[in-house]
Parts: sequence; C-alpha cells; structure tokens
Amino acid sequence: MRTRVEKRTVDMQVIGEWVEPHSRVLDLGCGRGELMDYLVQAKQVSATGVDLDFGRISACVARGLSAYQGDMTEFMRAFPDRHFDRIICSRTVHELNDPAGVVLEALRVGSTVTVGFVNHGFWKNRLGALFGGRKVRNAVYTTSWHESRPANPLSIADFEDFCREKSIRIARRAHLLGDWRTPCRVLPNLLAGYALYDLART
Amino acid sequence: MTDDVQAPTAPASAPRQLAGDDVGIVSPRDFIHRGPFAFKSGQTIQGFTLRYETYGALNATRDNAVLVCHALSGDHHCAGWHSESDSKPGWWNNLIGPGKAVDTRRFFVVCANVLGGCQGSTGPSSTDPATGRPYGTRFPFVTIRDMVSAQKLLLDHLGVAELHAVLGGSMGGMTAMLFAIDYPQFTRRQIIMASTANESAQAIAFNEVGRQAIMQDPAWNNGDYPREGGPRVGLAIARMMAHITYLSDAGMDRKFGRRKRESAGGESYTFDAQFEVESYLRHQGQSFINRFDANSYLYITRAIDQFDPARAYGSLEQAFAPVQAESLVIGFTSDWLFPPEQNREIALALLRAGKRASYAELSTDLGHDSFLLESADLYALIRGFLERPEAYVFDFAI
Repeated sequence: MRTRVEKRTVDMQVIGEWVEPHSRVLDLGCGRGELMDYLVQAKQVSATGVDLDFGRISACVARGLSAYQGDMTEFMRAFPDRHFDRIICSRTVHELNDPAGVVLEALRVGSTVTVGFVNHGFWKNRLGALFGGRKVRNAVYTTSWHESRPANPLSIADFEDFCREKSIRIARRAHLLGDWRTPCRVLPNLLAGYALYDLART
Repeated sequence: MTDDVQAPTAPASAPRQLAGDDVGIVSPRDFIHRGPFAFKSGQTIQGFTLRYETYGALNATRDNAVLVCHALSGDHHCAGWHSESDSKPGWWNNLIGPGKAVDTRRFFVVCANVLGGCQGSTGPSSTDPATGRPYGTRFPFVTIRDMVSAQKLLLDHLGVAELHAVLGGSMGGMTAMLFAIDYPQFTRRQIIMASTANESAQAIAFNEVGRQAIMQDPAWNNGDYPREGGPRVGLAIARMMAHITYLSDAGMDRKFGRRKRESAGGESYTFDAQFEVESYLRHQGQSFINRFDANSYLYITRAIDQFDPARAYGSLEQAFAPVQAESLVIGFTSDWLFPPEQNREIALALLRAGKRASYAELSTDLGHDSFLLESADLYALIRGFLERPEAYVFDFAI
C-alpha cells in the first residue's frame, strides 16, 4: 500500500512539471481529486474533474474542487475547441470503452493532452505473465481478474503505434523505470514501468 | 420597514420532544417593505410583506447567512416546529438544524415565502389597498426575478452583508440561480437541485393543465372569489396531477403498487377510490386546497414557465457571465420533470462560462421530489460544499 501511494505521488510530480501555471486543466477520471488538489496548490491551475462515481465527486467537492459526475466523452462534447489548456488522462486510458474516441475528443477540446499509463510491456509484467501464466498483479494492480474492472492493458509500443496511426503528434514523453522515478533512456517498452505522454494535434 | 412578530403559538421556552439536532420551536416573522415595488412586468404595488423564518445567528461579519428557497407549493417554514402539538416539522427539517448538513450552529438560515405566494407573503390573495378586496388577477405578474429582488430586500433588512450560500430545489433552484446572476458580489455559493434553466415543453404542458383545471372551474370566476371559496375542485385536480409529476413510476409502484384500500372491500364496480394511489392523490388534493390559493398557483406556475435566462441574456453562458459564486448542481436519476440532463446543462454552461461548478447525481426512485431525500450521501455532499475552506478565486469569464 505504501508503494502505491508513493507511486501516485511520482506520477503527480511529473505531470506537475509539465502543467503551465494558471492554466485551465481538465482531469479525466479525477477520482477523489488528489491530482487536481496538487495542481491547484502547486501550479494555481483552474481545474475541473470528471468521474462516474458519486462518492468521488463528493470528495472533490469537499476539497473545494470543481468536479462533474458523468461520462467523460459526453462532457467534452459540451465544450468548444481548445476550451481547456490541458486535458489529463492519468491511469485511466486502459479502462475506457473507447480509448481512441476519448483521446481524439480530448485533442479537440484541449490544446495539450497528457496521458499516463502503466507499461504492460515492462519486463516484470512480461515475466509475470510468462512464468505465472496469470493476470498481472503488482503494487498497482492488486486485484485478481474476477474483482477487477475490465481493462485493456497496453504497452509503450502499443501506445506509440496508436499515435502514429492516428497522426497524433507526441510533444513530450517521459519513461520511468520500475521505481517510477528514475528516467528510462533505453528500451523503454521493456525497461519502463510507467509512461507519460504529452499529445498535440498535428 | 418593520418586523412584525406573529403571535407565537407555543412558548419558545418549552421545547418540544425533539432530537438534539433539531432547531426546535420556531416562529415566522413578517418583513414589511413600505414603498413602491416595481415588478419586471412594469406593474407596481405600494409595498409588500414577506413571511419568513430564521434559524441560527448572524455572525459579527454578517456573512454566514444561508438563504433557502422553496419550490412551487413550499413556504418559509423549512425547519423546526411551530408548536409542541405540530404534526410535522418544516419541509426541509431533515437537512437543516444544529449539526445537520446545513448546520444552524454555523449558519444563519433564512427562508421566506415568495412574493406572489399565499403563506403569509403578499400575493393575489392579499388585500388590494385600492379596493379593500383581494387582488385576484389584478395582482401584477410575478417572475422569479421579482421573487429574488423581494428576498434581497429582506436580506438587506436583516443586515446580511454576504450570502454564504443560496440553495433550493426545483423553483428554489431557479431562485438560487438568479441570486447568483443578479447579486454576484453578494452570493458566494449556490446549490441548485432538481432544477432547470428552462422548462421543457412537457413541464410547461403539465403546468398548463393545472392552470386550466383551475380556470375552467366556475368558482374561479376570473380570479375573483372570496377568501374561503374559490375553485377548490380545480385546484385539487391541479395538485393531484402535479403530484404525479413529482414522483416516479418506480417510486409509485414501490409506495402503492396495485394495493387496494382496506375500506374498498371486494366491490370493484364503483368509481370510489379503490386503489391506495387514488386515495393518496385525493388526500393530496384535499389537503392542498386548505393551504393554497388558486390564483397563487396560476401566478407561480407562470413564473416558473417564463424562467429562461438563456433567452433573456442571449445564452446561458452570457447569463452566467457575472456569476462569482461557486456552484453545486445536483440531479436525481428518477426526476423526469426536471431531469438530470437539464441539471447537467446548468453545470456545463457555468463551466463553459469559466465558472467554478460541480455536478453530482444521486440514484433514487423518488422522482422530482428526490431533493427532499433523506440520504447520508446527499447530506455529506452539501455539508462538504458549504463547510469546505475558502477556495481560491479564479475568474476566467469569457
């Protein structure tokens, strides 16, 4: 559990470095608002979050954050082009029904789209699948298959393929080793545990 | 302007058998505005009365007031009891009280019967000083904005410097919305529940059927009827029909199903009330005519129908442009009168206008009346919104 909390913090710090102060940020799958809270305090952003769960929205509201309970794609459709400076999709993309649809809509509504995800091509995850022959379980994915939400595990290679296919420009990328802290400079699809991307329209 | 305290019906020092989180015995007061009051329609009356109640105390900085806005058939009595023998408490007693979601130990809660109403505030059933008879349909047309202006005069009179929050469900949500638009420096938070920025054709249609039931009753007599008389049949039917729109299919099935009244016996071939739902609606209709004025019903439903800030300002975003308040909009899944989508639209328009707004949705089967729900989730949401630390100030108005 401790590892999990630390890893969440690392993710926040990287995103925090990328976010421009005082910008207008939308957090897709905002949960209980930890990331928004951090960005509001560290970067004085104007943040709005979207989530499906009442309890998480209520937690955001109690923190003084703006949060909207509903479907993220429908939410984004209600806004004009480039209404947000940055749209963040942190550790949510693998649970979406229509990931391509969400990312493309985010690229319309936001000037920059930040996507962060756990790299399932990471060697530990590969070995786990190879030797365990079971669903990957680790500090992040703690639950067994039958108590997990439906997920599309993806790798760095998968994601870069997707960006190429959809002609999405990768403005910035960060690959982090298994500690989610140390930058990974070689063979990211094999050696990086976590990946972050800043996307823009071409 | 004076404050006339109504004769209390019970000594204030003898609290009723109450829960510890109850405001106890409360007494309404009358705020009398002397001087002309101009309605949005251009018509004017020479002064008006608003009946209101307050709970809790105004703080030294006079900025802890929470204004509660009632719905169509509601009134100023939103918490506590009027006497020890009172059969039921104020309509939002579950939400408002010491230690409750709207905590009267922290907040100075104000609730007034709207202008045009009939529970003690000036409306069509009040005496027209020019004729000595009830105004009837000579009363000026009332809009939500007129209700807001009148309540602002009350708050000024009470010495409120800033509203900590304004909240309301249904028409009360419209009132809250206009407070935030008309008095942006004054209104710091708003909670809009089970409301809409403009009624759908279906909602207008239901109001129109209610009005027709009243106006087609010969006793309506073009609005000219004695205080104790009037279109009692028409008003009861209007209420019965409207009451259905406040519930939901699933909720009615849960509450009544096809159960028959015990007194109905085995006799099926009669038009007496047989099903429980029939006797429930008849009871709703009958109890309504004893407490509500038919002309007020016409005026207030008309005010609700006319409410349309998007049309008045060109767009909802432009209407919300001056808003400084942080907003919380709450929709209810089974509300088909002012459905979740219409509540979402309020929150989305506020966000498009660059305002701080949240939207939350509760799953209930209680229909439009869900905003009166007894729900720990709802209480936590409202308390969290009202009591959170002062937020950062942003204004990204377009």
